[in-house]
Amino acid sequence: MPNRTLKGRVVVEGHCKARALVSAKPISFLGGVDPASGKIIEKDHDLCGESVKGKILCFPHGHGSTVGSYVLYSLSKRRLAPKAIINQTADPVVVVGAIIANIPMMDQVDISEIKTGDLIEVDGREGVVRIVVKGEG
Amino acid sequence: MYLTKEEERIYDGERGWANQMCMRILVRLGELFDAAKLVRISSAHVSGVSYKTLGDAPAEFLEALANADGNVKVRATLNPQSLDTEYLGRKLEQSLREKQSNILKQFERMGFTESLTCTPYYLKKPKRDSHLAWAESSAVVYTNSVIGAWTNREGGPSALAAAIIGKTPDYGIHKPENRQPKALVTVDTVLKNPTEFGALGIYLGRLLRDGIPAIQGLGNTSENCLKQLSAALASTGMVNMFHFKRKSQAKTERLEKVCVETRDIKNTVESLSTREVSKPDLVFIGCPHCSLGEIKKIALLMKDKKVNKETEFWVCTSHYIKEKAGEYVAQIEKNGGHVLAGVCTIVSWTEKLGIRTIMTNSAKTAYYAPTMNKAEVTFRPLKECLTTALRG
Repeated sequence: MPNRTLKGRVVVEGHCKARALVSAKPISFLGGVDPASGKIIEKDHDLCGESVKGKILCFPHGHGSTVGSYVLYSLSKRRLAPKAIINQTADPVVVVGAIIANIPMMDQVDISEIKTGDLIEVDGREGVVRIVVKGEG
Repeated sequence: MYLTKEEERIYDGERGWANQMCMRILVRLGELFDAAKLVRISSAHVSGVSYKTLGDAPAEFLEALANADGNVKVRATLNPQSLDTEYLGRKLEQSLREKQSNILKQFERMGFTESLTCTPYYLKKPKRDSHLAWAESSAVVYTNSVIGAWTNREGGPSALAAAIIGKTPDYGIHKPENRQPKALVTVDTVLKNPTEFGALGIYLGRLLRDGIPAIQGLGNTSENCLKQLSAALASTGMVNMFHFKRKSQAKTERLEKVCVETRDIKNTVESLSTREVSKPDLVFIGCPHCSLGEIKKIALLMKDKKVNKETEFWVCTSHYIKEKAGEYVAQIEKNGGHVLAGVCTIVSWTEKLGIRTIMTNSAKTAYYAPTMNKAEVTFRPLKECLTTALRG
């Protein structure tokens, strides 16, 4: 079966392959993600309790305080950061966070095509996301 | 996005990691918002200074920048911190003081002035039509609207990057075409005090989202009233400026029309109180930070009356204004009040001090304190706040 390919815009260059963690909700990194554990702690969030570590984190866009950018830097220093970030619409908080934490990032991607558990590849040269293996279930 | 030869060298890392990181932030944000180039700024103002709101994450980044010789290229000021060493610092545990002080130290190493205020325009008024990169939304709206300098609503990190590069991406409100009004607001009531100007800001922010208003009917307003309006408008809306002078309202036919009536202001004032408290734990004046004139007014209204023993009475301002207001500060403090310099109640540790109820004349504080300070709020004009604090 051929890989499904989604087009997007490269915000921070990089190339990686990992399992997707997908949310339908915006994420506020300040207050929403614990910098000490890498877990999403915002109550009522669809990813509450999940760890972002090593995942390709897919969500519509960021929201909340601009201090959130520093949380991504902190996660990366503790090796708890996501491997890559894919957004529907990039916003300044997440963009600045991805730059200072050096996390590959793309936006303008139709993330509804990606499901949690899919093995996906972010290709920052071509500006595409490839769904390599659909997750189970 | 067009970069000069020197900007490209910075982007490629020839001027070190700190400059490269900051240039990357500005260029990526510029691309995100379709900026064609960077513009020089005459000052930057950074938010995100309080350890209470920052937590531990940012200190590492600030230290890394300072270690890599990150240095500001323009006048760069800082927002308030979570405590002052003279009063609140003594009531709080040492670890909080140390962590707050470490954050300030990193900013200082990079050449920031320790202004610690949300009203940096009282320290040095920006020139009309100059470009700035300011975070702190209340100062952004005030500066664009009242002073006539130009700044987008920066976040903490983007203002920091702009301070170190001395430039900001040329988009948004840096373009004259984006400073035109989208709505014509007629205020069909007389606003009686700064508190009601704050209520107008809260009301319009909710209504207008990001459409710049031309406001008619404010009459001869004081800068203090416009400051309260600015802070409140920025709290509920994404608006970065307003027009309030007749001459700036030439073409009004095509604008969305909004009429504000007495009951709109009354309802908004009432909605900002979460509970009617007659004996609040804290009476707080100084959001945004007080001007010299306001501190003088407080001192004159207090006369020799003492603050009652069950109530904390705080007046927040910058170190700069506190020093200038020496005799008035002495009078307020002699009567049992506290003039706190460089601190902001919203980003301070009120919960740790046992403060559960706050009375304030600030619409911005009334809007944020229920979530940021987990406190009940009573929203009242200055005179009533003083009467409450001084009731024996």
